[in-house]
Amino acid sequence: MRKIGFVLAALICCLNISACQNDEKSTAQAQRTEMVYASTKDIRIINPHLYSGEMAAQNMVFEPLVVNTPEGVKPCLAESWEISPDGRVYTFHLRKGVTFTDGAPFDAAAVKLNMDAIVANKPRHAWLDMVNEIERNEVVDTHTYRLVLKHPYYPTLVELGLVRPFRMISPNCFINGQTKDGVSGYVGTGPWVLTEHKDKQYALFTANKNYWGAQPKLQAVRWRVMPDHQTIMLALQKGEIDLVFGADGDMLNMDAFNALQKEGKYATLISKPIASRAILLNAHQPVTKDRAVRMALQYAVNKQAIVDGVLNGTESVADTLISSTVPYCDLGLPARGYDPAKAAAMLEAAGWKLGPDGLRAKDGQKAIVRLYYNSQNAQERTLAEYVQSDLKKVGIEMKIIGEEKQAFLDRQRTGDFELQYSLSWGTPYDPQSYLSSWRIPAHGDYQAQVGMERKEWLDKTISQLMIEPNEATRKAMYKEILTYVHDEGVYIPISYSRTKAVHSKALQGVGFGVSQYEVPFEKMYFENTPAR
Amino acid sequence: MKAYILRRLLLTIPLLLGISFVSFVIIQLSPSDPAEVAVRVNEIVPTDEVLALTREQLGLNKPFMTRYADWMCAVAQGDLGRRYVDNKPVAQELARALPPTLWLALTATLFMAVCSVGMAFLCAMYEGRTVDYLLRSFIFLGTATPGFWAGLLLMWLFSVKLNWLPTSGMQGASSVILPAATLSLSYISTYARLLRNSMVLNKQKPSVLYARARGLTRGMIWRHIFRNSLQSTLTGLGMSLPKLMAGTFVVETIFAWPGLGWLCVTAIFNRDFPVIQAYVLLMAVMFVGCNLLVDILCAVIDPRLRARGQA
Repeated sequence: MRKIGFVLAALICCLNISACQNDEKSTAQAQRTEMVYASTKDIRIINPHLYSGEMAAQNMVFEPLVVNTPEGVKPCLAESWEISPDGRVYTFHLRKGVTFTDGAPFDAAAVKLNMDAIVANKPRHAWLDMVNEIERNEVVDTHTYRLVLKHPYYPTLVELGLVRPFRMISPNCFINGQTKDGVSGYVGTGPWVLTEHKDKQYALFTANKNYWGAQPKLQAVRWRVMPDHQTIMLALQKGEIDLVFGADGDMLNMDAFNALQKEGKYATLISKPIASRAILLNAHQPVTKDRAVRMALQYAVNKQAIVDGVLNGTESVADTLISSTVPYCDLGLPARGYDPAKAAAMLEAAGWKLGPDGLRAKDGQKAIVRLYYNSQNAQERTLAEYVQSDLKKVGIEMKIIGEEKQAFLDRQRTGDFELQYSLSWGTPYDPQSYLSSWRIPAHGDYQAQVGMERKEWLDKTISQLMIEPNEATRKAMYKEILTYVHDEGVYIPISYSRTKAVHSKALQGVGFGVSQYEVPFEKMYFENTPAR
Repeated sequence: MKAYILRRLLLTIPLLLGISFVSFVIIQLSPSDPAEVAVRVNEIVPTDEVLALTREQLGLNKPFMTRYADWMCAVAQGDLGRRYVDNKPVAQELARALPPTLWLALTATLFMAVCSVGMAFLCAMYEGRTVDYLLRSFIFLGTATPGFWAGLLLMWLFSVKLNWLPTSGMQGASSVILPAATLSLSYISTYARLLRNSMVLNKQKPSVLYARARGLTRGMIWRHIFRNSLQSTLTGLGMSLPKLMAGTFVVETIFAWPGLGWLCVTAIFNRDFPVIQAYVLLMAVMFVGCNLLVDILCAVIDPRLRARGQA
């Protein structure tokens, strides 16, 4: 009896301790000024001119001359600008009184130093035509900077506003006048200052007290690294973290998102459509090189079922590769809905006859295709299984092969695939940067398009498009390119993806930036955050 | 004895050389082009120009044996190369990741020793009774439960529900408890079973009957049984530390523990070959070193082994 009493007493003590801990926590929560954000990845190297760091972290510390907003390009470190009539000379009037957080003044000399460092590392920025287009850049006076281009490159302002590489880092951080081999610190002009970073553990960003713009509402953001998704969910339930934010299953898969949404204990948010999710069909492989097969596949895949079954209705069905809401892409291209009978008829007409084994064949070639996906993304597997079952109905066998990310990327370069999962870069990269990347042989898009009759024309037109000064001609060129790709059926558009966020109800001001890679921390605050 | 130790030490050199060569060859056989990997992990488009530049920078245009010799010479001087991801020295990264893993592995060893000895004692003392069956069922469950599942269950119970411990990360002494418990779980089951069986066998020996007849106390008799049952368990325990350190992949990933396991997992996903090569070499050195230490200890205890080694 005494033993039972002892055990009960111990249990009560433990519960009391636990309750006390909860009380302490709620008192602390009443005055919270630090937000904890969980990410599966460390911030790594956030040199704004390189690509090995997390973009959301780069965006917190470093600022561009102009910024992309839902309303278009707006001033940032440049207050205003003029563009010469021939579209080649951009003169920026810089914001006065701005300093880097190490005290170095932000002026035209600092901008030129940054731009020179970017241009000096040209091969690293091959994906971005803008770097190749820079002829020279000059300091006009302390607060006036001039950028001279070789051609009137139309996406100049949009690309200057991207998270990388055109962001400003303090001249004191340069090593031998360059940034391509590393920097001595991460000092920018942005609303946040990186004050502490423990590799693979956490990074602490504190509010920049001398920020020229609106002060962040929180005093600090703690970026915690948690590589496992389940751990992130449990930490959210425990209240150790306040925000999970991400796109395309990198932070949250749809099941977890829906479970949390149903639970009702957390606030959940979904952004507007931001990027395009599609299946890439390789026009350079025995079965899919046949345009009739590619066109039949457009009708064979039940996109609505994928959106409802895999994506739980959180995304909208895509009729065209790029959403009509994206600039230059509202072209009224014909939608191809789910119609397996039509798909079968098209295959039949093209000579792909159904065999006794339920498989179609033509000239001894069986209709067997392979879809490769990145095995680290569980969502892609489920999506592939839906496509597999749809193709089976029209007599095509699809093999699903999950590969490690690097092997998956290697395969893109070699073009050894019939089908691959594809996600566009989203706004503000779409459509110009996305189309621009089609010309790079290392990309799956290039390899899939190589089999198209007019691939050479396509690449040439994209190159011309980027430097076409006339808006009307540019529109016509976009129409021609996107119509040709649509007609060739190299992509099966599936849906327009959205960024998702789950956060504690106490955290307010959570929203989305223009790009899926940015997290607008500076607008977030807690209900009881003291006014600043 | 000195000659025995010297001979064993000398034998480890060709063994380590062999391991280093095999690890180097295996990585070279990977279908991925290291230059392309190095470029891709930095999210740079692998154009021909960039690839050529990277190949030159990494010395990949040199012949295979030259590259191996260069690597070995550098390793001998403590230079394990640089990571593709951020160009940081690999030796520095391993040195940074080693202490957390050592802390985790040593705590897990402590848990393992205390729990397996305790459970084995209880099972042997109450052999064939409810306590024995219950504990053996628990041991069976421990062996059958996958590490990641056990980790998440422990996290859910002790962290989310009871709020006693942090879910993950390395924040203070308490944060090591859950990952160490997860890591030690399967080892506890193995050693508890091993020790229990050994103790059950030993308690039936005539020497125990004689001890009882001599009127020795219960405690003294059990101490005697325990000491005689330790031999096989100790040999296994000696090799457990490197095994624990090499087996931290899953636990470190689940519990966001910034150690060697996580470093290696990230390197594998990124195909960061210099890190993988260095990790394989480090683990080989640890296994060979521990094996050597156990052999020497055994030889110190049992002179017959030394004689056998000389034969």
